[in-house]
Amino acid sequence: MSLREIFWAGQQIYLTEVFLPVIIAVLLFVPLLAALFLFGFGRHYRLWKLGQPEDRSGQWWDRLRGMLAVAVVNMRILNRHELYPGIMHALIFGGSAVLILGKIVRLFSYLTGITVPPQSVYLYASLASEIGAVLILIGGGMAVYRRYIVRPSRLDNKPEDSLVFVWVFIIVLTGLMVKGYRIAASDMAPVDWAMWSPVGYLLSYVFPTFMIAARDEILVWHRAIIHTIPAFVLLGYIWLNRSRLQHILLSSLNGFFRSLKPKGSLNAIDFETTELFGVSNIEEFTWKQLMDLDACTRCGRCQDVCPANISGKALNPKKVIQDLKDHLYEVYPIPLSRKPIEGRKDMISEAITEEVVWDCTTCRACMEACPVYIEHVNKIIDMRRNLAMERSQIPETAQDALKSLGAREHPWRGTTATRTDWAEGLEVKMLSDDSDIDVLYWVGCTAALDERNMKVAAATARILKAAGINFGMLGIEESCCGDPARRMGDEYLFQTLCEKNIGIMKGYEIKKIITTCPHCYNTLKHEYPQFGGEFEVVHHTQFILDLMRSGKLKFSRSNARKAVYHDSCYLGRYNDIYSQPREILAAIGAASGVELSRHGPRSFCCGGGGGHMWMEEDIEKRLNVKRTEEVIETGADVIATACPYCLSMFEDGLKAKEVEETIKAMDLSELLAESLDAES
Amino acid sequence: MDVVLRSIAIIIEVALLAGIAYCFLQGVKLAVTDMGAGTKYNRALTMAVAMIFAIVVVFFIAHLTTFYPTV
Repeated sequence: MSLREIFWAGQQIYLTEVFLPVIIAVLLFVPLLAALFLFGFGRHYRLWKLGQPEDRSGQWWDRLRGMLAVAVVNMRILNRHELYPGIMHALIFGGSAVLILGKIVRLFSYLTGITVPPQSVYLYASLASEIGAVLILIGGGMAVYRRYIVRPSRLDNKPEDSLVFVWVFIIVLTGLMVKGYRIAASDMAPVDWAMWSPVGYLLSYVFPTFMIAARDEILVWHRAIIHTIPAFVLLGYIWLNRSRLQHILLSSLNGFFRSLKPKGSLNAIDFETTELFGVSNIEEFTWKQLMDLDACTRCGRCQDVCPANISGKALNPKKVIQDLKDHLYEVYPIPLSRKPIEGRKDMISEAITEEVVWDCTTCRACMEACPVYIEHVNKIIDMRRNLAMERSQIPETAQDALKSLGAREHPWRGTTATRTDWAEGLEVKMLSDDSDIDVLYWVGCTAALDERNMKVAAATARILKAAGINFGMLGIEESCCGDPARRMGDEYLFQTLCEKNIGIMKGYEIKKIITTCPHCYNTLKHEYPQFGGEFEVVHHTQFILDLMRSGKLKFSRSNARKAVYHDSCYLGRYNDIYSQPREILAAIGAASGVELSRHGPRSFCCGGGGGHMWMEEDIEKRLNVKRTEEVIETGADVIATACPYCLSMFEDGLKAKEVEETIKAMDLSELLAESLDAES
Repeated sequence: MDVVLRSIAIIIEVALLAGIAYCFLQGVKLAVTDMGAGTKYNRALTMAVAMIFAIVVVFFIAHLTTFYPTV
């Protein structure tokens, strides 16, 4: 027998007389673990079932791929802006996967007799377990350092957080100690332990042993037990679903059931059958919205990117989710019971507060940042619906906008302009006079009625004429698309406007629509189909770029202005249109070559969405001023936008910072129109 | 030197066992709160758990000091 075989024959005592009995004991308790898991999961499931129905079925393969991309590859965590937490999580997750794999192989090795002498698979499994353990220790150390020493503001600490760290360190360290002690207690000098169990081998030098073999055996028992019991109890704890590690299951589930609808599409209310106008009580949310509350890992990414939160407003998306979760468990405190408590507090005014509900600009930055696909915006809109349609509790200035929408079909109360004033002298076809057009130019309320934005409409019309496009407009027949009403919670008003517009457009047999407003674009493209309005909708930047590429426009390629582009929320995050505006700027030679510090999917909201164009703001906390400060930092002389709300907000922001003489806010169509003039 | 190494080894062992005890007792406390014990019992629960923890740690120190193998 070789030395190696003799060594392993000696180890066999520990394998058969210590570890095997321990493993058998653990396996006997597996039914208890299974029961704990069912209890823990059942606790969540019975609460989700309280929610309203919602169809999240279908497209199973897409759902599964997305879930695996998030759960296994950790795609939404590993990005260049968050390298440290991304690597940290990858180490913990990857280390755990490798460790568990190694342990499973070694578990079955006892049954298959591959331990004496150890076959390659057993030795590789041994090495894999140790590598996994080391990765977990490194990742865990990074996590502890970040959470308790760096203490980023977005992370809050609860007692169960420290529990998880202590548990995991103990399990991993005691596991390594078991191996180290087994090596130390062996009579034979190890032949190749250093290669197959490097960490255990090092630890074997640290801990002293007894001179008497029987006492060593007791000590190995002791070590095995102090490793097994914490492992078992931690598993039970996880499955009781009290620990943050429940995100392993719940966040994956939440990713699986994520919305596959267009991002900008809110759920419609069927007024003929519904008894609920928005959400007032926690069980009036859908089951998926309730699942979101359990899936939240309190990572705080949503909080960090929320423009309202950054500007010092009351809204904190993470707090909204956690407050709703606390409220849910407060109203339904008894495990497995569906009986709510008597005298619950009001969810909107007490658990969340109305100020928080109205602070949201629906920019979607929170949802873009969330690694587990929580849907913050639709919960806030649902609460707004209740405030607007049932309680009539809307901010005063927003009420004025809604009244104007109801009475005059546009939110610009106080304007004396009409919907056709902007087109004076431009000879734009009106559909009521001549409906033979290829494409409808949907002007939008802001471009038609706001003095500054009328210039954008005029520039767009000139571009379309220059390209020889056969287009027309609805003129006074155009009503508001309804976006402000829907985002301010007045779903009934939205549906009234929407159905009217669809009727008119179908009457003219409209097939294709161009619009300069991303809010109109989003509503017409993604929300009108809910009511039978199926049209091909194109944003003006997409259409103009196609015209430029096809040579239908002759424009100058040099421009004295140096512009930096601001990604508007409803064009970028909602509809993934990022490159076309930039290509237009580059083509006309107006690109400054600089980006705003927060651009693309991480763009900072101008503050105009979600009805905030019409809401009074605290001067200290205005989002547009904050964003204007970022523009000033770039040194550009133009802030280019593709959204009328953003344009208005930047005009105000530049005035507030007193730089309106040195920096101009311009729409891309205005910049291109200048280039057309320069060329001609 | 042997005494020093033995002491270090005992300290590490006690830290690990104290960690296990902390997790177990904290888990019990959270589970009791979870199952419906009101917040008015929090202080009493914390004190009881802390006392048990202290007793357990003292036991481990005594036990290991007496029975830990000599280097």
